[in-house]
Amino acid sequence: MKQRIAITGIGVVSPAGLKKETFWANLKAGRSFVDEITRFDAKLYPSRIAGQVHELDHYTHLSGRLIKKIDVFSHMALVASDQALSDAKIDLDNIDKNRTGVFMGNALGGWLFAETELRDLYMEGREGVSPYMASAWFPAAPQGQVTIYYGLKGYSKTVVADKASSSLAIWYGARVLNDKKNDFVIAGGMEAPVTPYALLCANTCGNLSKSNTDPRTAYRPFDSGRDGFVIAEGSGMVMLEREVQARQRGVDIHGFIKGIGFSSDGVDRKDYAQDTSALEYAINECLKDCQWSKEDVDYICLDGEATQIGDILEVKALKNVFNSKLGNIALSAPKSMFGNLLGAQSALDLIATLLSMKHGLVLPTINYQTKDPQCDIDCTPNQAVSREINKALIIARGRGGINVVLGVEKE
Amino acid sequence: MSLKEDIFELISQTLDVDKNELKEDISLYDSIGVDSTEMVELRVVIKKKLGVELEQGEVTNKHTPNQIAEMVESKK
Repeated sequence: MKQRIAITGIGVVSPAGLKKETFWANLKAGRSFVDEITRFDAKLYPSRIAGQVHELDHYTHLSGRLIKKIDVFSHMALVASDQALSDAKIDLDNIDKNRTGVFMGNALGGWLFAETELRDLYMEGREGVSPYMASAWFPAAPQGQVTIYYGLKGYSKTVVADKASSSLAIWYGARVLNDKKNDFVIAGGMEAPVTPYALLCANTCGNLSKSNTDPRTAYRPFDSGRDGFVIAEGSGMVMLEREVQARQRGVDIHGFIKGIGFSSDGVDRKDYAQDTSALEYAINECLKDCQWSKEDVDYICLDGEATQIGDILEVKALKNVFNSKLGNIALSAPKSMFGNLLGAQSALDLIATLLSMKHGLVLPTINYQTKDPQCDIDCTPNQAVSREINKALIIARGRGGINVVLGVEKE
Repeated sequence: MSLKEDIFELISQTLDVDKNELKEDISLYDSIGVDSTEMVELRVVIKKKLGVELEQGEVTNKHTPNQIAEMVESKK
């Protein structure tokens, strides 16, 4: 990219906190926020644990009139967007709203709202369905709600690419800024999979941990006893703008979006390819796009799917790309503390990485007990480690091998 | 309650707004910013509660509570 794209605002709604300060304090402490699902009776589901957001109503700025019209994934996106705007010190009365856009990632849509209305459709007929259903459930609904709420009229998009959705959305937003089509972009993602139907779909996919008896230790990437990831709900948003503009406004810069690499395995609708060349290609393309050598990378925020095969393939790809240099790079999967937010996960990974850069601390991969000889990397087990991070990669892998690697640089 | 009072009550309850924010002769858009989907909900609730079916386009957010009450009255 010709322009340096600065991140000037951060908004977080996560199981580990609903403000960036709380989120950071909790992650730094290496605590788990995975728990038994309490929103509905989930006892018949093979995996019935999740990272859940419990205090949204306490942190919301929305009216009851609006909340009843939207799904919780839009609600979370609105709260996270508000934080990002405020963190970036945006005065909404003094920006060109025709040049301010929203780029969001989501995988599932808003099922908590949809399920209730579909039940009413079959129980009561057409007239039982809320008129808000049409605008509440679909993946781009939060984008619409945020643009309407703030009157933003610039170019906006929603990206659906499973667990890699928000990386792609953030990149898309950065590219539009680079092309000078917008001046400001709110970018990130939101996901609300803790609903009866969404949880069923996530279970059917088959990669979730079934360690229901001890939720806090269930998500254990790279540990030999790993049995899958844990879903989570929430939203992460960042405010993006060109560096020159951020400097002129005199606001703090949390970091820069530097580059991206992407690829698709293209062999199965759910499983990754056993051959890791596609993931390696995405990593190499990201390095090339960032104009970084392999030695330049200080930290990699790992995908850490925590399936037996998923982690082996991720480690194999990293070893093939970085060879002996991998030992010099800090590696971890902070999402082990709160779960995988699917379409919103990379936004949370980006935020965790930016905060790690700011504080000079590598967040840990928690629940790591026993080494797996096929995953013999130092994944920063259980405790955060001090280290200067200037350049980082964030790896996201969607179902069937949608590989997205984002390059981020410190201010 | 008069039909006009019923309409006021129904709008305020359906849209979760204070009745005092509604003005008899000010459009729903200008007084409380009613949007197009909220108008759909109002039509559905008027049909359910008052048994009067108003067509899409027949009643819009540019109408005032008084005008809506008159339309409902004329169809009763």
